[in-house]
Amino acid sequence: MKEFDFIGKDIPRVDAIDKATGNAKFTVDLSFPNMLHAKLLRSPLPHAKILNIDTRKAERLAGVKAVITGKDTPYVFGVSHFDQTPLQTEKVRHVGDAVAAVAAMDVDIAEEALRLIRVDYEPLPAVFDAVEAMKPGAPIIHEGKERNIAAHASYDLGDVEEAFQKSDYVFEDHFETQRVAHVCPEPHNCIAVWDSSGKLTFYYCSQAPDLTRLQLAKAFGIPESKVRVLTHNVGGGFGSRATSKFSMDFAAIVLAKKTSRPVKIEYTRDEEFVYATFRNKFIMDVKTGVTKDGMILGRQTTTISDTGAYCDYGPVNVNVGGAMAGTLYRFMNYKFDGYSVYTNLPYGGAMRGLGNPAVHYAMETQISMIAERLGIDPLEIRLKNAVHTGDETVSGAILKSCGLTECLEAVAEKIGWREKRANPKPNRGIGIACGVHFTGVRLSPGIDADFAGANLIVNDDGSVNLATSCTEIGSGSNTVYAQMAAEVLGVEPNKINVVFGDTENCPMGWGSRASRNTAVGGMAVKLAAEDARKQILSAAAEKMGIPPDNVDMELDIKKGMVYVKGTPSRGMSISDVVKFNRYRKNGQAIMAKAHWDAPSELADKVTGRGNFSSAFSFGAKAIEVEVDPGTGKVNVLKVVAAQDVGAAINPLGINCQIEGGVHMGLGYALMEEIVFDQKGEVVNDHLIDYKTLTPLDMPPIESITVESMDPIGPFGAKGVGEMATIGTPEAVSAAVHDAVGVWVTDLPLTSEKVWMALKKKTERR
Amino acid sequence: MEQAMKTSKIKIKVNGEWNELTVPNQKTLLEVIREDLHLTGTKKICDTGECGGCTVIMDGMVVNSCIVLAVDANGKEIVTIEGLAPIGKLQPIQEEFIARGAIQCGFCTPGMILSAKALLDQNPNPTEFEVKKAISGNFCRCTGYVRIVNAILSAAERLRSENDEGI
Repeated sequence: MKEFDFIGKDIPRVDAIDKATGNAKFTVDLSFPNMLHAKLLRSPLPHAKILNIDTRKAERLAGVKAVITGKDTPYVFGVSHFDQTPLQTEKVRHVGDAVAAVAAMDVDIAEEALRLIRVDYEPLPAVFDAVEAMKPGAPIIHEGKERNIAAHASYDLGDVEEAFQKSDYVFEDHFETQRVAHVCPEPHNCIAVWDSSGKLTFYYCSQAPDLTRLQLAKAFGIPESKVRVLTHNVGGGFGSRATSKFSMDFAAIVLAKKTSRPVKIEYTRDEEFVYATFRNKFIMDVKTGVTKDGMILGRQTTTISDTGAYCDYGPVNVNVGGAMAGTLYRFMNYKFDGYSVYTNLPYGGAMRGLGNPAVHYAMETQISMIAERLGIDPLEIRLKNAVHTGDETVSGAILKSCGLTECLEAVAEKIGWREKRANPKPNRGIGIACGVHFTGVRLSPGIDADFAGANLIVNDDGSVNLATSCTEIGSGSNTVYAQMAAEVLGVEPNKINVVFGDTENCPMGWGSRASRNTAVGGMAVKLAAEDARKQILSAAAEKMGIPPDNVDMELDIKKGMVYVKGTPSRGMSISDVVKFNRYRKNGQAIMAKAHWDAPSELADKVTGRGNFSSAFSFGAKAIEVEVDPGTGKVNVLKVVAAQDVGAAINPLGINCQIEGGVHMGLGYALMEEIVFDQKGEVVNDHLIDYKTLTPLDMPPIESITVESMDPIGPFGAKGVGEMATIGTPEAVSAAVHDAVGVWVTDLPLTSEKVWMALKKKTERR
Repeated sequence: MEQAMKTSKIKIKVNGEWNELTVPNQKTLLEVIREDLHLTGTKKICDTGECGGCTVIMDGMVVNSCIVLAVDANGKEIVTIEGLAPIGKLQPIQEEFIARGAIQCGFCTPGMILSAKALLDQNPNPTEFEVKKAISGNFCRCTGYVRIVNAILSAAERLRSENDEGI
């Protein structure tokens, strides 16, 4: 394998010094002269007709500059479905649905003004459970949506009935997952500024500024040239900032227009827990047919996902879960029905892995259950069914690289699988699970593109400005881009100045989502850098008198010096090449641009089948727990996580992603849950009540990187971030069973649930 | 209902410089730091004392500046992340955070580093448990805390050996 200078090295983050010194600017840190602060008035009722809104008193309050209601925001928006309006005019559909907004001199005045707005409601019957919402006679939340079904996704591939007939056993199990929050440290926020020419500048903490621009231009019916979106450092995204989709955005923009002043809106933490979306609740029935030696022949899954009052990413969650569940094992008969169902709860959205972590939890827990029922080792049943490089799966995924088996074997070895299984200790257990997630995806219905861009210019001093379409959301993508460009151009990574988050000065792309930064965004960077390298070599050759057709053979670049191969003393600096090329008659800049559309395809509209991503990342987790039978408390002792990343561009960054993913996965497994009361209101909208693992709760994590060398990705790389969470709850749940012999099939595995299951088991005896 | 906003004159020393300000009595130290002194390295994550994002060091002790009234900080000496090291230099805790991958999105980082600084000032040789306890009031969503704990432990080791050399 080629020896690299920077690829595969633990390069510290390029933005780390700014972040460690407090100099890094986040969108929420910005303010402008004359800026107003706005707040939204939200419904106290889960489902009600709006009879009247009286804003007169609020308008008269000193310091209030504008009050708007739905009449001022006649726009329709949404992610998968256009089912949302910014401020409601006819009815509210969840506690917190926005009905009015106020811009004032400061936040306190804006809040005071909200209290002066009088809204008369006529309460309507509400429904807070997706299964109830699908029953005849349930309150209808959106006109024309029978049984509150917002969307239905299905896959029908092979012949699942025939597969079940051929199976020795057919197992049916039921699983449920909960709503969990992203808990981005930086609250959702924006500043809207209109100039006198009618152009909007929108400062927005976003994962995908270009999508935001398209969506805002479309919603407001103005040309894209009249919208500029700017994103600074992003204080955590995890999917919640994947698009522009909040009442907040529209309110700020309309208020800024009305007052001709910059308007800022910033969520408080309790607003963040309710209105920044969360991971949807999934209710899943999984039916799997197997031979007596554990070969899976077919699977049928029915999923009900509670999307809340609006769709947002809800139907996408279901679709992704369905596609990925047909991409892990070799069975070729698969039926999937997924329903996104409206309820009168705040709406969920995209969160790290979309619907895939929920669906993986169900299907992987069931595989562990089946292994136990058949008396087969849970590791062996996975190895037996695992997909391999070259497979075309039932979902239509073509696996150009697959390190699933290696991941499973690696975690088993590191956790001491075979010894620990052979020598069980009381109340201790180990569990294993594996998974797959895409690297970029063709999702947008009707848009057959999964692209990223990079623009690159080499400065006189030999440094490089690199503008990308992906946003640095904390995952380390800017560092990976600096490494890739540095490797190709033969300069140090600290010479690469990565610029992002400006729809006017950065190339267009679908932003930072779907684990696509390293592979899809990185490919654009690599292509642009290769083009610039050619330009440098050919200009250097001209200066040095080397024939143009021999450039690649004769010249190389290292440490910013272009030199003749074999004669390092004969050469010139990139800086001198750039200056030579620029400051002469008919001169040129060294600059390059690239647009990369990842090779994948849209799914077939009828069957759902398609090679929907250019690469698939695989992973496995092995987890050891100790369960206190007296209280049901699960104590995680160790996590081993292996991930097939294609090629590790920055092993340090990958370990960071895996550890963070495990932290989020353990929270999903053990304690995190958005809890609603009987009126549809969030009970635990503070960090003190919404439990995440603290440093004291964290077990040791061992991460292992498997390199399957993807033939498409830059330098062989695939995505990392989302796969890092997947596999955690299912491995914990299997470990709990191994420890105390009970299956708990709804997340999170709280002490209460484990204790209840233990009690039932004792009673059965 | 409308009440004249009561204000007070305060004097606070921030990062070595005295500041005289007239502030509304209900204004928090965090708001004064961010809005009046324009030191935006101190972050607001929860605004209710539950996350440590707004951690500053006041008279040698870590405080959540979102639940300290600015008037209660009168006469006190405060260190924010901007004042931890001279411009262009890094403190060993910062260097270890950078080298060991303890920073991702970076939003919790200032508070985390200041909690670590206050710990190591008081306890130069903490156990892993003591480090975890010291930062358990600092919320992070990206890292899983593993590398943060390691960074603080190795900064402690470095600081101890630097101090030994000094003797």
